[in-house]
Formats: sequence, structure tokens, C-alpha cells
Amino acid sequence: MALTQVSANKCAGGFQKVFEHDSTELKCKMKFAIYLPPKAETDKCPVMYWLSGLTCTEQNFITKAGSQLAAAEHGIIIVAPDTSPRGCNIEGEDESWDFGTGAGFYVDATQDPWNSNYRMYTYITEELPKLINANFPTDLDKMSICGHSMGGHGALICALRNPGKYKAVSAFAPICNPIQCPWGQKAFSGYLGPDKSTWEAYDATVLAASYSGPQLDILIDQGRDDQFLSAGQLLPDNLIGACSDKKIPVVFRLQPGYDHSYFFIYSFINDHLKHHAKYLNA
Amino acid sequence: MDPRLDVISEEGEDQDFSRDPVPVLNPAAERRGRTFQRFSVSTNDSLRFEPCEDSSPSPTGAEDGHDEDDVFRRGGAETELLSIRTRLQDKVSEMENFAGHLEEIFLTVEENFGRQEQNLEQHYNEVLQTLSQRYDERAGGLEEEKKGKLEALYAQLLLCGRALDRSKDLIEAAQEVRRAPDPRLFLKTVVPIMKRMEDFSREEVDFSLSTSEEFNTPLADLSDVKTMMDSINVVPAPSAPVINPQTPNSATQTSLRVFWSLFSDDTVEFYELYYRPVLEDSPVDGTSTPVSKVKVKETHCRVTDLLPNAQYELWVTATNTTGISPASEKALYVTVPSPPVMKQRESSSCPEAARIRWESGNTNPVDSYTVELRETGSDGTETGTTECMVGVPTCQCVIQLQAGLQYLVSVRAVNIGGASDRSDVITVSTTGTFFHLLEDTAHPCLSISEDSFTIFYGDEELPISAMALDDSTFTRCVAVLGDLIPVRGRHYWEVEVDEDTEFRVGVAYEDTERDSYLGTNRTSWCMRHIRTPSRHKYEFLHNGWSPDLRITVHPVRIGLALDYERGTLSFFNVELQQHLHTFHCHMHTYVHPCFSLDNPGALSVHVGMEAPRHAFM
Repeated sequence: MALTQVSANKCAGGFQKVFEHDSTELKCKMKFAIYLPPKAETDKCPVMYWLSGLTCTEQNFITKAGSQLAAAEHGIIIVAPDTSPRGCNIEGEDESWDFGTGAGFYVDATQDPWNSNYRMYTYITEELPKLINANFPTDLDKMSICGHSMGGHGALICALRNPGKYKAVSAFAPICNPIQCPWGQKAFSGYLGPDKSTWEAYDATVLAASYSGPQLDILIDQGRDDQFLSAGQLLPDNLIGACSDKKIPVVFRLQPGYDHSYFFIYSFINDHLKHHAKYLNA
Repeated sequence: MDPRLDVISEEGEDQDFSRDPVPVLNPAAERRGRTFQRFSVSTNDSLRFEPCEDSSPSPTGAEDGHDEDDVFRRGGAETELLSIRTRLQDKVSEMENFAGHLEEIFLTVEENFGRQEQNLEQHYNEVLQTLSQRYDERAGGLEEEKKGKLEALYAQLLLCGRALDRSKDLIEAAQEVRRAPDPRLFLKTVVPIMKRMEDFSREEVDFSLSTSEEFNTPLADLSDVKTMMDSINVVPAPSAPVINPQTPNSATQTSLRVFWSLFSDDTVEFYELYYRPVLEDSPVDGTSTPVSKVKVKETHCRVTDLLPNAQYELWVTATNTTGISPASEKALYVTVPSPPVMKQRESSSCPEAARIRWESGNTNPVDSYTVELRETGSDGTETGTTECMVGVPTCQCVIQLQAGLQYLVSVRAVNIGGASDRSDVITVSTTGTFFHLLEDTAHPCLSISEDSFTIFYGDEELPISAMALDDSTFTRCVAVLGDLIPVRGRHYWEVEVDEDTEFRVGVAYEDTERDSYLGTNRTSWCMRHIRTPSRHKYEFLHNGWSPDLRITVHPVRIGLALDYERGTLSFFNVELQQHLHTFHCHMHTYVHPCFSLDNPGALSVHVGMEAPRHAFM
């Protein structure tokens, strides 16, 4: 699989790079951003996968979240892929900002016309890690996942569906219970069809209720002044309830005054990186 | 010529290269050319240094025999210098002490001499006086005799004179009668005159001297003068001995070794040493304390059965056949103190240091304490040397230690008499942070287990009388503080609770308000657990404010990590290694761990474990 470097900038002692490749899962060219800390020049480093939210590309996180200093300090490679396949010319893909382009929802679509390109779940969990491990100095065992909003949902379901694959997981304002919120219902019915039982495999709250595997330690930050929280799109209480019942360790922090933006992510990204480093550098 | 230059020019002959002049400590070795200079600190061959660059390097770098490294030489010479200096300093203070003692002796000798002189004067004066007296007596006696004799003779003379006069009168009367013309008158008067002349001639005239010409010279009785003279040669009573000041390290807790000396040629049969304790509250004249006495033949004595850490006043007299000397000056001796009593419960430690506390073990103050510590291996065997900290003024001290080891610590009390026996030894471990609970701060409803690490809040009502009047106890919040060592490093401890225990655990300043609840003020930070019928609630309180958090798995074992430098206090679920929350708080002074129970229940504190890696990430 050939990688083409799109850009490279020295940052925090390491390099913030962007690459493009031909994705076999998504059948299109995909870009991803990768931060290589100073340690990567000499040693293999663990990898954290960052999944962005609705409307984002690989650029938002690397320019707005301020993650590079902490990544350099902890010696972690951060891979930030795009949020959906692009340029596939599927009818309707650009109609809404919360479905189609920029809104892949990290599922493998089963419905036409999405099912041949919209396979973000497999892309994130299979193709991308293989690509990264083949081309960069990664510690194969040490992988973790994190995300915001739709990406938070993606991080949670990847971790819950793949016990033991990710050494750490955390999320910012995740969509915790998509089958119960407008966003999720719109996206799943479009990608997965009307049968709601097929949606459950992509719902963190449902997955948590039936999780069995190595112990998790989930950190979730949620802005209290997040408009989508009050709009009922995020539903963290449901996830917390399920995790309490199943004794899945979660620390959920409601941060007063913070909204849904990257300013919020910027404010707490260091705590999350420290959380990931604890397990990636163990 | 400078001998050093000699050596250097020699070595110039031996080798080809020129060298800077180097101070040579062992010229003989140098001349041999191939010997290795051994330093006073035993360095091995591998510490040899290469000669300077302009020489040809030898194949092994080992056998060129010139391992003079300026720095090392200087180092060796410097340490020598230092040790000589210390020795000299010791000598100087020894000599000063000796000079002081000599002064005392000098004064006593003067006194003794004065006394001897006085004695002598007195003695001889007595003798002279007596003799003079006798002389007067005898002279007087002779005078009397003479007078007597002369008077007797004079009386005799008078008698003779009278007799002569009478004879003369008679002869004249007889003559007159013979011349009388009238024979009848002559006859009439001649007969009585003849009778008178007959009587007179019949009178015996004593021609012997009434007294002899010789004088009576009886033998003078000078026997008492003789005894007086003899007594001059007799041995006088001794002069006062000189009692020595206390020798360091000669005393024990219950005995003193006393030394004295005699600075005259007196003969002494025995000495008597007197002593009595000097009490704080005895009257100045000291008549109330009883004096004890010991009789010895030597000039030293060990007095026993004394009290520890006590002052005693001692003086000594010397006695011989003539009498007892005056008392020496009084010396003050002090017995060594009793050993201190270690307070294990009040000692605390952390990886860098330990704070040890003890009780004096003596009712009266001592001068200082000496703390001794030595490393031990994990099996309790002692390794390494004993380190001493001397001059500790109070009954506690903070010692710097190395992390991850075990130490044995003991204390001695010191006064001028010397150091006491060693106290009992306590073990200090520098793995993790170790502390006990401050029982004085515990709310009356809180009871603390025997080993001081578990607290209970029972639900019995306590009588009002049990409510503390002490300033340091908590009065509303059923809380207690821990005695964390005041060291600004990293400290970690754990708390174990039950599923339903409602608690507050964290840290607080020592002066945190005792009448308010932990976390509701600016002087405390704590994690609070509230149990409702449906779920667990958690707060991380400071100044009454808490962030809004949900925790899905209730921690029954909580790790607390305090980092003074970073100003953080973090809480963890120990079992899951899950980070729960971190306070960022700049602590302006030392804090204490605090624990409270909001409802009846129990809580255990675990200390002394190494902090997990994630605790201070």
C-alpha cells in the first residue's frame, strides 16, 4: 500500500504529517494525519487513534486540539483519519452535514448505495492499523482509541467490540446511545436499514450491557453547556447506567461552562493523553 | 639547591620527556623510577593516570611509574592537613583544660605553702615564748635569792653593829666609872656595869654567816619546751587535697569516678570523700540534704548507688595521725542520664526521610541527644556503619535517609557526665510513606483500633461528658488526622472502605477548623462518598465546591497521592489503577492526611507501600 506524503511540519520536537493512500475498504483515496513524537526517531512508539466528529476532516484535530506537546512528552504516535470516504460521488452524500460525507458514523454500511464505500468500522479497526504498522515505527501491541462526539461513539464501540485490542479508551462528548438519539436514528437507518436489531452492534450503551472481556477504564469528558447534550443527542446517563450495572469502570466528568467545540477538547486533551499514556507506556 | 629540583633533574635523566614540576611526596620512590605511588586512600592500580601528552605512551599504560596526578596528590595532602589540623585543635583544647587545672593546683600549692609557713612560725614562736618565759622566771628567781641573801647579811650586820655599839657603850661606861673620883660611887656603879659586862661577855656571839655565799642553782625543768621542740619534727596534719574536675566518660547512670590529688609532701593515712546531691529546690546553704561519706586509701573512688542525670557536690579530706586536713574545694559531678524512651507511634517516615520522636527518660533536662542509625538488610542483619547525629536539642529529629531501605534507630541522652545507654531500637523503613493517626485529634465518637490503622464510628450515643474539651479534636465531623512527616516530597497511602461506608478522605492543614466538615473550608481537600438507596455519589470537595463526576465502579480501596512540588492531590481506585480525580492545590505549608466517617462504619488506613507508577505520572 503506497503512501504519499501530503504535508509535514515540525511540531513540539516531532513531526505532524499528513498522508494519502488508496483505501481498499473505502475504495477511494483517503487522507490521514499522523503525529510522530521525537521518540519515534529512535524507538517504536505506541499509537493512539483519534476519531473526529461530524463534518471534520483529518485537519481539525491536528490544528485545533493542541495535542502535540503532550504526545511528544508521553512518546505517543497519534493517527487522526478522516471521518468518511470522500469523492465517491454517491447520490445524497452531501445533502446533510450529519449524514454521508463527513458523517461516516464508524459503521460498515449494509444498505445501498452506501455499502460499497461506507465501511469506516473496518477501515478504522483493520485496514488503517495494518497500514500504520507497516509504514511507521509502531509498537504493535500498544494501541488505544479516543474521539469526539461521533468519534467518541466510534472510539467506544471499537473498544467494546474488540476486547483487549485497545489498551485504553476515552471520549469527549460522545454519542453514547445512538439508537435513542436523532443523529443515530438518522444515520443507522440510512446505513444499516430499518431493522433496529442491526443497530445494536454499533451502540455503546447496548454493547456495554453485554460486554465481557478484559477490564476497561473509560474516561469521558462532557461540557455541561454543550448544546447537543441538552438537545438529547448525547445521552451519557444511559451509558453510565449500563456501565454501573456491568461494573465497567468509567469516570465521567461534567465540565461546567464548556461547550461542544474544539476549545473544550483543547482544555482536557492533556488529561486524556495522560490517561492513555498510563496504559500505553505500562 | 632545592632538593625537589634534584629529584626532577634525576628523573629528567631517566626519561626523555620534560615534565612540569610536580610536588613530590616520596622522592625515594621517584628515584627508583618504576614504583607506583600509593595514595593514603587505598586506590587500586586502575586509578593510575597517564603522563602528559608529550610523552610516548607505554604499551600497557601501566608501567611508567609516574602516576602523579596533581589533583590526587593535592587531595592526599589536603586530607592529611585536615587530620593534622583536627589533631592539633584537639591538643590545643586539651592543653587549655590542663592549663586551667594547673592554675587551680598552683593556687592550692600557694595556700598549702602559706599554711605550712604559718604553722612553722606558730610552732617556733611558741617555743621561743616558752623559753623566754622560763628565762624570766629563772632570772627572777635568782634575783630573789640574791636579795634574800643580802638582806640576811645586812640584818646580821646590823646586829653586829648594835652589839658593837653596846660593847662600846659598856666600855665607855666602864671607863667613866674608872675615872670617877669618888671611890664609893665607883664601887656602887662598877658592880652593875661589871654585871652587865659579864652578861654581855657571856652572850654567845654568833660569828657564823646567816646565809651561804653560794647560790642555789636547781636544775631547770625544760621538759615541756623539749616536747614542743620535738613536735616541730612531728608530721603535721595534711593540707587540703585538690579534687579533680570530672573526667569525660568516667561516669555511669548510677556511679561516678572521682579523682583527687595531694600537692604537698604530707603523709596521709586515708582520705574521706563526702558527697551530697545538688537538688533544684534545696536551700542555698544546703544544710537539708544529707551528706554521705566514703573512706578510701587511694586518691580515687567510685561512688555508687546514685541517681541518674543528677548533680552531686563532692569534697575530700586527708587524715593522718596528727589530724584531718581542711576540706578540698567542692567539685560538681554529674551522673550520666538514663536512656531515652523511643516513641514508635509518633514516628513517621517517607522515602527520603524519617521523623523520630522520643521521651527524655529523665526528669531533669539533659544537655542534648545523640541519634544513632544504621542500615539493615531485609533479613534484619546490620550492614554498613552506624551514623551518629550529635547535639540534637529536642526530643525529636528529622533525618535524611535513602529510599527503599530499612534502618535501625536509637537515641542516647547526653550531659557533661557523658552519654546514656542506648534506648531501645526502632525500625524505620523508607519504602513508601509511613504514619500513625493523631489520636488527640479524633472526634470522641471515633474509636481507633489497637494498631492505630482502623477507625470505627459506632452508632451508640456518647454521653456529653465524653465530648472533648481539647482544642485539637474534631467536634462535628467525625474525623481524625494522620501524622504525616513534614517533608515536601511525594507521599502515597491507601484507604480501605466497605461498599456502603460514607466517608471523606483527603488532606488538611494542621490547623483546619475542628468544628467544620472536611472539604467545606479552604483548609481541607477530600473525596467524599455518599450512599443513596439507588446509587453511589462522589464529591471531591474543597472550599465547599466539587466538580460534577460520575464513577461507575465503587472503589473500596482508594489510593491517595500527594505531590507537594507539583501541588497535586490525586485519588485512584487501587484495584483498577483507575484515576478518579486530581486537585491542583498549592499547599503553603505542610498538610496532614484526614479521614472521616459520615455515618456509622469503619475505614482502614494502609501505609508504607511503594507508590504505584501511575500515582505520580
